[in-house]
Amino acid sequence: MAAATIDAPFEVYRFDPAKDPSPRYQRYSLSLPPHTPVLTALLKIRAELDPSLTLRYSCRSAICGSCAMLVNSKSRLACQTQIGPEIARHGRIVVDPMRNLPVLRDLVTEMRPFWSNYRRIEPHLIVDPERPMPVDKPTTMTPEQVARFEETPRCIACAACYSACPAVEADPAFPGPMALAKLYRFVVDPRDAATKQRLVKIQPGGLWLCLRCHLCTEACPKGVRPSERIMDLKELALQAQGATEAGSRHALAFKDNIRERGILNELRLVRQTSGYGGILAQLPQGIRLVRKKPEIRKTPKEIQGREEVEKLYEILDPEEHS
Amino acid sequence: MRLAYYPGCVAQESGKELDLATRWVAKKVGIELVEFPNFSCCGSGFIDEANPTLNVALNARNLAIAEKAGLDVLTVCSTCQGMLALANSRYTEPKIRERVEGALAQIGMTYSGRTHVTHLLQVLTDEIGAEAIRRQVVRPLTGLKVGAFYGCHLLRPADRLRSESAEEPHSFEDLISALGATPVFYRGRVMCCGFPILFVKEPTANRIAARQIEDAKSHGADAMATPCPLCHISLDAYQNKAEHELGHALDMPVFHLPQLVGLALGATAEELGLPRHLVSTDSALRKIGGVAVPA
Repeated sequence: MAAATIDAPFEVYRFDPAKDPSPRYQRYSLSLPPHTPVLTALLKIRAELDPSLTLRYSCRSAICGSCAMLVNSKSRLACQTQIGPEIARHGRIVVDPMRNLPVLRDLVTEMRPFWSNYRRIEPHLIVDPERPMPVDKPTTMTPEQVARFEETPRCIACAACYSACPAVEADPAFPGPMALAKLYRFVVDPRDAATKQRLVKIQPGGLWLCLRCHLCTEACPKGVRPSERIMDLKELALQAQGATEAGSRHALAFKDNIRERGILNELRLVRQTSGYGGILAQLPQGIRLVRKKPEIRKTPKEIQGREEVEKLYEILDPEEHS
Repeated sequence: MRLAYYPGCVAQESGKELDLATRWVAKKVGIELVEFPNFSCCGSGFIDEANPTLNVALNARNLAIAEKAGLDVLTVCSTCQGMLALANSRYTEPKIRERVEGALAQIGMTYSGRTHVTHLLQVLTDEIGAEAIRRQVVRPLTGLKVGAFYGCHLLRPADRLRSESAEEPHSFEDLISALGATPVFYRGRVMCCGFPILFVKEPTANRIAARQIEDAKSHGADAMATPCPLCHISLDAYQNKAEHELGHALDMPVFHLPQLVGLALGATAEELGLPRHLVSTDSALRKIGGVAVPA
């Protein structure tokens, strides 16, 4: 007996830059069982309704990472997203190509920017020529060493995180969540000899543009949790190199700032992060703000029990203790 | 309802209007705010970048203070909410717990890991309930189209924070409807405001804020509202910079969550600190038939 079907109204992004003046949405009406994957529905559209629909896919099993696209504006693998819940929530299924990548045609995006960002992090083991890896026996790792990069090898390079990332959208200097998660994987690999160089190289303009918004972690179909790996990288970068640019300076300045009073001293933070030059640069904006919010000029009152906070710093942040 | 009030740094400083509005609304809906002058900063995500264990410890101390008083914690900032809730989640990891418990012991504190942390949005919608709020409305915000802007740390990572759906939340929109206004659904409502890199690379941060404000505007929003004072800084205090990046004006009034609630429950603009905003809220106030704005 055939499974019960539901009406599945699709609105699919169509665009051929060589021919069309602008993109359009094309509607298709299907009737399918609710557990049908979006990819299966699109292939049915192509086979039965419209052979001109262009999309990229391969394995249909959430392994190859080819069919990432927007399903009702969320970055998803089409093969892993069932139509039932989408229709229940939105009443229809709107399918778009991924964001942050140029459209080649319909749902197919140009992946080169994604891959060139991946290449930026040198995604391969860099071995110390003085200590080459043995070729006649396996290199062993302890379970603890392996546990540090448990999640990252699951990445299938589908670019769903890249598509979901607001930092990628706003600034081409940011390499994207996937590249940084992969970088983390090599940084913590005990066989890699370039840990420090990797951390130094990624800092200017790259690492510290992550917003910690965790949109990549929500989008990732494989549980790589790129935003959390980037947090790990920031900590490792600070340990390896200290504060070398605005992002790392800001993180350390904020930590020092809270140590002083237990509560944020807003004005002081600007100077700690950017120096007196930074205060000067912020002056016109600062004057605008102070007119409406005069408290900015005041030093906040120290919290009660500040010495308890100080003690926690002494115990858990000893390298900073003077 | 008695709750340990965790205002966070910004509501005590440049975002004082959030504290004013919170106190007004709490009194109106029957939340007793118990104050703890020994609460420290939540670290705002920056201490988490620099030293995650220290970050858990600072927040575990805050949570231990509330636990000792037998109270749940009330936050009014998405970032404070996220950091305190994340500390609870990390505190379950044995390695971190051992170090943090050891450090707390040295300042004479213990923490069970069980202090419940709730944002005002959640208290209003889940505990008091949007319907009960609706019954208290004396000045329905009819005709005002409001774009909710949640703030990342209220929502994500959803599994660690046990928050509502990170991609399709609706509590804020439910509340906006209960106040008589019309919620506007737009992609940017769950996106980032750019604040975390405002002092790292300001033009990029401004572009991110611009993108979300413009998105709300293009979906018809007359105003935005946020449960996060850091988002408020990006969206309101730095809206001029966002406009500069875009090359055109936005003129988008941005309310703190309790300001919007307070307006519907009868507060004056001054009681809610609206004159402290950088972008005037007058255009929104006119839509709801006018609220006396002091000159």
